[in-house]
Amino acid sequence: MRTKKYTPYLYMLPGCAMVLLFVYIPVIANCVYSFFRLSSYSSGMKFVGFDNYVRFFTNETFWIMIRNNVLYCVISLIVQVGFGTVVALLLESKLAGRFQNVFRNIYYIPALISLTAVGLMFTFVYEPNLGLLNSALKALGLSNWTQSWLGDSKLAIFSIIAMSQWQFTGYITLLMVVAFQNISTDYIEAAEIDGAGPVRRAISVMIPLAKEQLLVCSIITIIGAFKLFTEVYSTTAGGPGNSSQVLGLFLYQNAFLHDDLGMAAVTGVFIFVITMILSIIQIKVTKSGEV
Amino acid sequence: MKKRVLSVLLATSMVATMAAGASALTVSAEEKKTIKFFHRFPDEPYNSFIESKIAEYEEAHPDIDIVVESAQNNPYKEKLKVVVGGDDCPDIFFSWCGEFTERFIREDLILDLTPYLEADTEWKESLMESQMVNYTLDNGMVYGIPFRLDAKLFFYNIDQFEEAGVEVPTTWDELVEVCEKLQEAGFTPIAYGNQDLWPSAHYIGTLNQMLVSDEVRAVDYTPTTGAFTDPGYQTALEYYEKLIPYFNENSNGITADMARSNFCMGMGAMYYAEVIEIPYISDPTSGLNPDLNYGMFKFPEIEGPGNPNILTGVPEGFVVSSKTEYPDECVEFLKWFLGKEVGTEQAQTIGWFNASIGTTEGVTDQTLLDAYNVITSAEEMGPWFDNALYSTVCDEYLTAASDLTNGDVTPAEAMEKIQAKALEAQTLAAQTTEE
Repeated sequence: MRTKKYTPYLYMLPGCAMVLLFVYIPVIANCVYSFFRLSSYSSGMKFVGFDNYVRFFTNETFWIMIRNNVLYCVISLIVQVGFGTVVALLLESKLAGRFQNVFRNIYYIPALISLTAVGLMFTFVYEPNLGLLNSALKALGLSNWTQSWLGDSKLAIFSIIAMSQWQFTGYITLLMVVAFQNISTDYIEAAEIDGAGPVRRAISVMIPLAKEQLLVCSIITIIGAFKLFTEVYSTTAGGPGNSSQVLGLFLYQNAFLHDDLGMAAVTGVFIFVITMILSIIQIKVTKSGEV
Repeated sequence: MKKRVLSVLLATSMVATMAAGASALTVSAEEKKTIKFFHRFPDEPYNSFIESKIAEYEEAHPDIDIVVESAQNNPYKEKLKVVVGGDDCPDIFFSWCGEFTERFIREDLILDLTPYLEADTEWKESLMESQMVNYTLDNGMVYGIPFRLDAKLFFYNIDQFEEAGVEVPTTWDELVEVCEKLQEAGFTPIAYGNQDLWPSAHYIGTLNQMLVSDEVRAVDYTPTTGAFTDPGYQTALEYYEKLIPYFNENSNGITADMARSNFCMGMGAMYYAEVIEIPYISDPTSGLNPDLNYGMFKFPEIEGPGNPNILTGVPEGFVVSSKTEYPDECVEFLKWFLGKEVGTEQAQTIGWFNASIGTTEGVTDQTLLDAYNVITSAEEMGPWFDNALYSTVCDEYLTAASDLTNGDVTPAEAMEKIQAKALEAQTLAAQTTEE
């Protein structure tokens, strides 16, 4: 019997070793690096104490980044999770009819395109003179509405956020459709017999029963918002000026453009703390660790 | 018991396969000398030209195997910085002269080519001295050999100039006047795209050369002493600001490539361009508009404490890693690859000149020859501003220029931010050099 006691641990050993090697050790090393001044190619490193942290929090782009990440987060919650759920409800209702599958696929396709490709595609869509968006506005007689979408400091981050909504709303829709399909038809039929119309059914029966999934979708969206990188990197690279700078890109640019791995490590620690707090909240609220 | 043995075996084999992955790579290709070559020209026809020359060299030297990798401009900078310090560093790689490479030299990562040039005076004398200076440190160490010569000139649309009745400007006031008249005639005076941020550095770098004295610039462009307090820097930004009304609209939302296309399509009478862009415009097969009737002129002069004789633009070339196993073979290859024979063919086929003397034979494009003459007769070349600065200062400068282009900051506010960053950079640079 004694052998049985140890065998499971033995099987877990390689997995644990890999997680330790690729997750925990880098996280700890990152914290250590955040107190040093070093570059990716330098041989030595110099201890600078909290200097990197001070520079990070007093950096004037710090609040711009927080604002942009939070904006992305809030808008994504409203559009992707909120609007996405409404779309999912419509797809599940009798309105969609036999075209349900067609619509579902149409909404989901953007999520399949690689982020970089979408970024490149939208730089053409947003191009001020020949771009699709401005051309369309002109064709509709709305020349006054044309903008330098990625070139205007006030608009750039919103243009990027809009691009992400286009891409990921369908993804959340699909996740919610699955959740709605898992609801036993008994409940819905019971509500119908009680005289509940489609809206009442959605609010009082379907959404409460898909609550867990809704929460998971929200958490995915929130954490994704703080890890935002590719969308910005492939369109404005943080510009014009620093107006569309976000935490993930700031980390990357410090590490590989400004030879300042210490600063990049501080940014990493900051993102880690934020996403960890959010994850803990998720686990507490759902009272489970399932995702 | 059997089960336990089995599970131990399974677990160890899993760990073992993980470890084996790392060691298996280094065994093969023992008999050939492998040289890793990393460049930043993945576009056609440049990539094919490089590949074909390397294949040619490998055929003539059966003992050499050259493994080529490439990446686009910005990703290249980032990738290179990651690999250059590690054991996987390419033996020969493209590197910009000035601060970009000097930071690697400070870490002792670049091979000193001086002894090789001293040993082979014929080779040394076959290279243009005016270009080699850029790949030479103040202490005389030569660290790279140019692959393509470059300079920044205003390209202008001759037809539109004639239609608006204007002449090539030689002074700043004339430039403004030309812009005014072009605008009156219904043309966009200057095609400009600053989405990638670096294009503004070329304007500002050139303006700084004329408005700040050589000595002051030398102090400020050195990371440990840079302060940027000279009033000339602010004046330079003010001059840049004066050009903004003559740029096309939304210049911050347009990429540099798109601005070039616009110039080629007549949507911009002038375009501040690099001469290496000539093939992109007028190459008979791959050019954007081979029929475009265009000429070139130097950035108009501004009177100031600076040096108006400097031509902005330095060559770009290759360096050898100090960690290479085969330094002699690498140098031997570069001697041929960046020499006169390949250089002549290079000029004919892809329109780029290297730094060997006398490579114009067989070149028929008059614009190319004109550009070549401007470069070879230049008294002095000036660095690419963005590569000359310490990276954080450069970033602040480009950010400020981008905001200035949108009208979000004034030149004075911009300089204040840049000065603060320069002070911070002094400490950062000192911390790195102490090691």
